[in-house]
Amino acid sequence: MLAVKNAKIYPITSVPIDGGNLLIDNGKIVAVGKDVQIPAGAEVIDAAGKFVFPGFVDAHAHVGLWGEWYGQSGQDGNEGSAAVTAEVRAIDAIYPDHTSFLDALAGGVTTAQTTPGSGNPIGGEMLVIKTAGKIVDQMVVRNPSGMKAALGENPKRFHGQMQHRAPSTRMGTAAIIRQALYKAKDYQRKLEAAKDDPSKMPDTDLAMLNLIKVLKGEMPLRIHAHRADDIVTAVRIAEEFGIDYSIEHCTDGAVIADFLGSRKAKVNLGPTLGARSKIETRALSFANAAILHKAGCHVSIITDHPFVAIQYLVACAAMSCAEGLPEEEALKAITINPAITIGVAHRVGSLEPGKDGDFVIWSDHPFKIRAKVERVYIEGKQVL
Amino acid sequence: MLAIRNGRILTAAAPGAAVPPVVEGGTILVENGKITAIGRDLAVPAGAEIIDATGKWVTPGIIDGHSHIGIEEDGVGWEGSDGNEATDPVTAECRAIDGINPADTAFEEVRRHGVTSVMVAPGSANVIGGQTVAIKCYGKVVDAMVVKNPAGMKAALGENPKRVYGSQNKKPSTRMGTAAVLRGALLAARDYMRKKEAARSKPDTAVDTNLKYEALIPVLRGEIPLRIHAHRADDIVTAIRIAEEFSIKITLEHCTEGDKIVDYIAEKKIPVIIGPSMYQRSKLEVKDRGFHTPVALAKAGVHVALTTDHPVMPAQYLRHAAGICIREGMPEEVALAAITRHAAEHIGIESRVGSLEPGKDADIVVWDGDPFEWLTKTEVTIIDGQVVYRREKGACR
Repeated sequence: MLAVKNAKIYPITSVPIDGGNLLIDNGKIVAVGKDVQIPAGAEVIDAAGKFVFPGFVDAHAHVGLWGEWYGQSGQDGNEGSAAVTAEVRAIDAIYPDHTSFLDALAGGVTTAQTTPGSGNPIGGEMLVIKTAGKIVDQMVVRNPSGMKAALGENPKRFHGQMQHRAPSTRMGTAAIIRQALYKAKDYQRKLEAAKDDPSKMPDTDLAMLNLIKVLKGEMPLRIHAHRADDIVTAVRIAEEFGIDYSIEHCTDGAVIADFLGSRKAKVNLGPTLGARSKIETRALSFANAAILHKAGCHVSIITDHPFVAIQYLVACAAMSCAEGLPEEEALKAITINPAITIGVAHRVGSLEPGKDGDFVIWSDHPFKIRAKVERVYIEGKQVL
Repeated sequence: MLAIRNGRILTAAAPGAAVPPVVEGGTILVENGKITAIGRDLAVPAGAEIIDATGKWVTPGIIDGHSHIGIEEDGVGWEGSDGNEATDPVTAECRAIDGINPADTAFEEVRRHGVTSVMVAPGSANVIGGQTVAIKCYGKVVDAMVVKNPAGMKAALGENPKRVYGSQNKKPSTRMGTAAVLRGALLAARDYMRKKEAARSKPDTAVDTNLKYEALIPVLRGEIPLRIHAHRADDIVTAIRIAEEFSIKITLEHCTEGDKIVDYIAEKKIPVIIGPSMYQRSKLEVKDRGFHTPVALAKAGVHVALTTDHPVMPAQYLRHAAGICIREGMPEEVALAAITRHAAEHIGIESRVGSLEPGKDADIVVWDGDPFEWLTKTEVTIIDGQVVYRREKGACR
């Protein structure tokens, strides 16, 4: 039994508690509140004057998968050898010793969805992991948690411009995604038919099996789209196939806020704390979060690590707050909202009984630049 | 006449200056683009335009002493990327001023965030990249924005030159090659200088003009520093070795592993500008990047400024970099100096900008709170006494 006492606790899904206690047992939260009794024999951390938050959740990052200083030896995020690589799985390329995990902990981020890159129209399966561990399979919270797709500049640059093959236009990218989904539908029909007649069983096609999970609603298509027209294309394709989706980046979201708001779209906004590195990111602004929240979208803030170093997830939330997103919503955008979007809200994203004991002790409110991460716990174990 | 009244003024003036570091409830008077007075009980002349800073914080304009604003344009791509003339490892003849687009939208954005002066440098693809220039962040004609030109000569050690040229099977492909190219250029410029001198008395021996070498003469004469991009500790040491061989002035740009050889840098009294520390570890030579470096160097008495290396990190986040330095143990006045007075000194424009003192340019920022904080917003940015940004009431920024 672990007890944190006397802290200013932000459960996120309920109001902040002054002088609150948090009890963790067997890695799970058992109680949180002002009048929670601390059982005899519990290990007690006196957190008077400190702030306790759930571990933050980054809904779109590449921690462990690429970036940092490893150079070509660590470039494992884009299997750029074909336009559709639905068969690949991020879990097979995650390096638990990657320095990005230390960055995550340093910024109080304990859960991340790590995804393949956006070089391919369909990039492969992503997963949700905790940010500490030695064996990726033991770090998994949800696998797979989505299928990566990408519109806009990246696929047409990676394939059309660099390899002189399809897609070389936005039309081409959309056609390739549609074609892959239709192919998966056909494959699904053949599998169904083979149930009664094993002689009709098609050869195993890993890519198609993975895409069927999207068609069946077992996991969403998570579609990289910056420009407003790309976002609209993403919605068009998702609605054609009746599949669940989230919009990754959504840089121009404010331009079509009503369109997205009327669909209560799940939007993962970022990376914003950086340069506008390409034309499709020209509208980059921390004001996007406030506008999309107001319009009715389900807003999460992401770092897209390494594009924004993951320890600055909370800074991105604070800057979004400075640009008009209410503080409470800015905190939700890096906790419960991403947990919902990536399908792990039963485990993480708030401090509630039954959820994982993932919490961070801060020296001050984390929106203050001088606030320090003092301790980080994942499933009741101190990891920093 | 402009008066900024009743603010909490952080002057960033040097210790021992006539102006104290903090003036609570202070007023700044501005005339003809210059600060004329600063203090608590100043009479505001009738007819002066008044900016009420009650409850607000006032600082000098933020200065980024190492940037590529205007020369690596925001959100444009290839068409607006003019920072590296990567066709020859020595392009001393290039001048940043010829590549700056004042219409880069980043200028407007950084003004909105209180950045008023920058040094714009060529990139680090070349061993010698070209002349840097110090400019104000406001204007339509770059020549009218200049504070100092040239403000230095850019050089680069480490991974970048050997990646750019080594991949084309050209020299340099190693750190040794890079140092040799740098030495070779300085020696050739020295010979050129000697021949020019000799030709003064013997016109028939006049040498043809060589722009490369002409541009290196001010470096050899100690008129402008060689500003040497160096991340790894051994690259920093190589920079110092070459500087001593040629008795030239240098500054250390980035200085990512400076904390590993703190005493050596302190002993050599070389000014450093550190950053971008908030950025990803994008290559091996920056794998240990972090805010521990500026904190350790400042503590050892090294002259420290901070940089975003805009657009690597956009310059509006320079004040937050200073804020994180404070979190990691740097005294507040040192952190403020690192993005104002020290930055001005680093690029050689401290007679004009970098602190709020009578006689200096009226580059002033009014903030709605502590300027180091994530949540703080700019209220007013003033360059040369002119309001170049004012946040509308109720606007996000």
